[in-house]
Amino acid sequence: MAALGSYLLLFTFMVAAYAAAASVAGARRRNSRLIESGIGAFYLVAALMTVASGVIIYAFVAGDYTIRYVQRYSDSVQPLFYKITSYWGGLDGSVMFWVFLLSLFGSVAVRVNRERHRELMPYVVAVISAVEMFFLFLMIIHNNPFETYLTQTPTDGRGLNPLLQNFYMAIHPPTMYLGFVGLTIPFAFGLAALITGHLDDSWLRAVRRWTMFSWFFLSFGLTLGMIWAYEELGWGGFWGWDPVENAGLLPWFTATAFLHSVMVQERRGMLRVWNVTLVIITFLLTIFGTFMTRSGVVQSVHAFGDDPALARLFLSFMAVVALFSFGWVIYRLPLLQARHELDSWVSREAAFLANNWILLFSAFFVLFATMFPTITEMINGERLTVGPPFFNRWMTPIGLMLLALTGIGPLLAWRKSTIENLLQQFLFPVALALAVSGGLVAMGVRVWSSGICFALCGLVFGTIAQEFYRGANVRRGMTGTDLFTAMVGLVGRNKRRYGGYVVHLGIVLMFLGFAGEGFSRDEQLLLKPGEEATVGRYVLRMDAIRVTDDGQKQMVTAHISVKDTDGADLGRMYPAKWYYRKHEEEPTTEVGIRRSFAEDLYIVMPAFELADQTASVEVHVNPLVNWLWVGFGIMALGTGIALLPERALSFAAARMPADAVTASLLAGALLLAPAVAEAQHVDGPASQLQIFSKEVKDVTRKLACWCGGCSKLPVGDCACGHCALVKKEVTQMMDEGRDEKAVLAHYVTPPTEHSQDDVHRGESGHVLLSEPPDVGSGRLAWLLPYALGLLGLAGAGMAAVRWTRRPAVAVAGGPSTVVAPELQSRLDDELRDLD
Amino acid sequence: MAHKTIKVGLTGLVLSLAFGGLLYSTMGEATEYYKHVDEVMTQPGDWYGKKLQLHGYIVQDSILKRKNSLDYKFKVHSNGHIVEATYTGVVPDTFKDDAEVVLKGTLSSDGFAVSPNGVMAKCPSKYEAKPGAPTS
Repeated sequence: MAALGSYLLLFTFMVAAYAAAASVAGARRRNSRLIESGIGAFYLVAALMTVASGVIIYAFVAGDYTIRYVQRYSDSVQPLFYKITSYWGGLDGSVMFWVFLLSLFGSVAVRVNRERHRELMPYVVAVISAVEMFFLFLMIIHNNPFETYLTQTPTDGRGLNPLLQNFYMAIHPPTMYLGFVGLTIPFAFGLAALITGHLDDSWLRAVRRWTMFSWFFLSFGLTLGMIWAYEELGWGGFWGWDPVENAGLLPWFTATAFLHSVMVQERRGMLRVWNVTLVIITFLLTIFGTFMTRSGVVQSVHAFGDDPALARLFLSFMAVVALFSFGWVIYRLPLLQARHELDSWVSREAAFLANNWILLFSAFFVLFATMFPTITEMINGERLTVGPPFFNRWMTPIGLMLLALTGIGPLLAWRKSTIENLLQQFLFPVALALAVSGGLVAMGVRVWSSGICFALCGLVFGTIAQEFYRGANVRRGMTGTDLFTAMVGLVGRNKRRYGGYVVHLGIVLMFLGFAGEGFSRDEQLLLKPGEEATVGRYVLRMDAIRVTDDGQKQMVTAHISVKDTDGADLGRMYPAKWYYRKHEEEPTTEVGIRRSFAEDLYIVMPAFELADQTASVEVHVNPLVNWLWVGFGIMALGTGIALLPERALSFAAARMPADAVTASLLAGALLLAPAVAEAQHVDGPASQLQIFSKEVKDVTRKLACWCGGCSKLPVGDCACGHCALVKKEVTQMMDEGRDEKAVLAHYVTPPTEHSQDDVHRGESGHVLLSEPPDVGSGRLAWLLPYALGLLGLAGAGMAAVRWTRRPAVAVAGGPSTVVAPELQSRLDDELRDLD
Repeated sequence: MAHKTIKVGLTGLVLSLAFGGLLYSTMGEATEYYKHVDEVMTQPGDWYGKKLQLHGYIVQDSILKRKNSLDYKFKVHSNGHIVEATYTGVVPDTFKDDAEVVLKGTLSSDGFAVSPNGVMAKCPSKYEAKPGAPTS
């Protein structure tokens, strides 16, 4: 296996070299057969890397511990899922994973653009192959994942640290890689455009989807990292400005800048040097990020290797890339002249320019501050560091400026805004921002940065709402549908623009989460049994510390009752320490989190005394933090909209019954609702400690948990504290001799004659049937999911038929034939923007 | 064209000066010296009162914790030099004997006082550990 893998890598290197050489030669000689063979070899690289990946995954799953890498990052007891994810667990494998992804992405990009951007292709192939060659070289020379033990072979692996056998940690690295690797594609196209001199805007069109795709995964990876830090590390925050975190953030800044400045080039033919430079810088930063985390050049709390040889390799590669690419930029400067000059500073393009400057400044600031220790050490041998407060001091105003621009940019007209349209555009958003600030002052909020942030969130929200409303209104007038259908149609007509606004909305929500940090508070308490302590509006009481064991680990769990200051019971929380077998020395801290949209109550138990049942706990109250994750969800939705294929959503373009869209989207939203509720789920170990009879379980499975956080799980299967109580109650009733019907009747009041829905509120107000009874209107509820499924299927079928019949539809005449020319031109003005 | 170049150049100059100045002025209070224990303990007097990030390894069996509190007292060493440190608060899971730590705080004749949340233990990582260093 190992030999096969090593030879595969060697062979792949040769094939990649051939692909690069044949493409360049073919392009220079204008020999299409040579070019074709280069592309063929390029696909072959992807195929070979797939096989090599298969080999290493096989080695992991089969437990081939002759291979060092496999031995180091897995062992025989590891669950299959983590065996597979160990592929990218260490440096060697992650480099290989990188090449694998790059070869796949490259092949797809070449395949898609082969005809449309024929002249760029050979060089795109050559550039990507060259990057692949560098990483393959790195593997073969320095970090071969297939390296074997020479003398004796261990019988079992060392295994992965249990802290890292965590779902977020398993998917966080590949998500980051998807982002990092994806950003190589725009770079390859940019460089190909520079080399061939085809510097019109066509290369931009080829890469904007790729950039958006990679940008999304980069954002997703960063968010996953934040969630992991928040839920697992137990320090109450989500971002610590650690060098490794920053490494992921750097290309995010420049990629975001690029996504915006692309529009200026498409619309106005400006910023052409800037765009190509941004693409190059972004690529360099992705390489730099990999280098920074892996070479030990920056001291970080992540124990990454300190490897000077690797550092030298990376530095040389970056230097070569920078020299080569910027050399071409300078050489092609005459072709990169802007077609227009900036007309006015009160224009959309000026706002984009400002946004770009700020984003680029952020990237360089973060880079500078991260590298500061290394820089000072180089200058005077003294290692000086700057901490999170320094980052926060700078990044807070920078973030606020960006947020302000998010609100202002879309309100400005291209070229030049007149006073009149400024007034017309800004009136509502500014009024909203002022109203928010007024409200805040009235409420007595005195945290400046957060207050400004809230006001700016109001501004941006106002902007987005106004854009949607005005666009939809124009469209409604045109198509005669209702406002909501018009809005969907509007989004369908210009997905990139309105998808972008949805992304902005997500950003606003994320900023709410950031602003909430200004109000967070934390306290360290010593809790004795029965003693109460007050933190903010919460009253905590330690009930007990219990030790349980599930075979894999020993769990020391604090049972803490939480009430609010009015005495209302808010349930129990269970911060814990887990001691895994074989890793007793490294307990993991399990955070107790009580989530709500307003604030999280977050309890960590760093130390405890079993003998006298006391625990030292750290309590954080984190307002608004959940909006971060919600915001990211919205952002993902927006990116999804912007990435939709050209004609998706065209079903809303007025040929369907007017209200169908509204209705089906509402149905969709209802289907999504349980996922939202889940965000508040509060886990508790209570059920693990209690045993109920089978009868009780059967009965309670017919009841739904209605605590608000458990996505209405059947009580019998739910682990929350509330359900534990219900189960106890049911046990009691059954002990009293009541039968199943009677018990259920206790929780369910019979539906009144008029109630059409299947939500029957029980006498306790908390527990409801988890499955509708199989009689009367209950049957309807059983049918509903199937009906919705069929509806979806029918919708998909209709869409498929429509799309295949597209030309006929166009001939049959869309709404455009019946629209007054004046309205049409107005709509065109509105819609032409950005796309 | 020349006029424009001057304008852009001047704007750039003013902006970079302003930012440079701001950066410099905010830098002063934010910087901390990053030192290994031995570097500091050869001339401890020179470092009294300065903000430090101290890098070292926890001396075996030196971690003392006051009962029913989060007060810790422990020793950190590197290259044969040892310093005693005090800390109150939550320590990371990886804080234990022989762990590689970075402590933020100030040195005085009483030892090294770690500031709140100032204990960073090397994160257990999927990635390669430094050869020879503790693997956690």
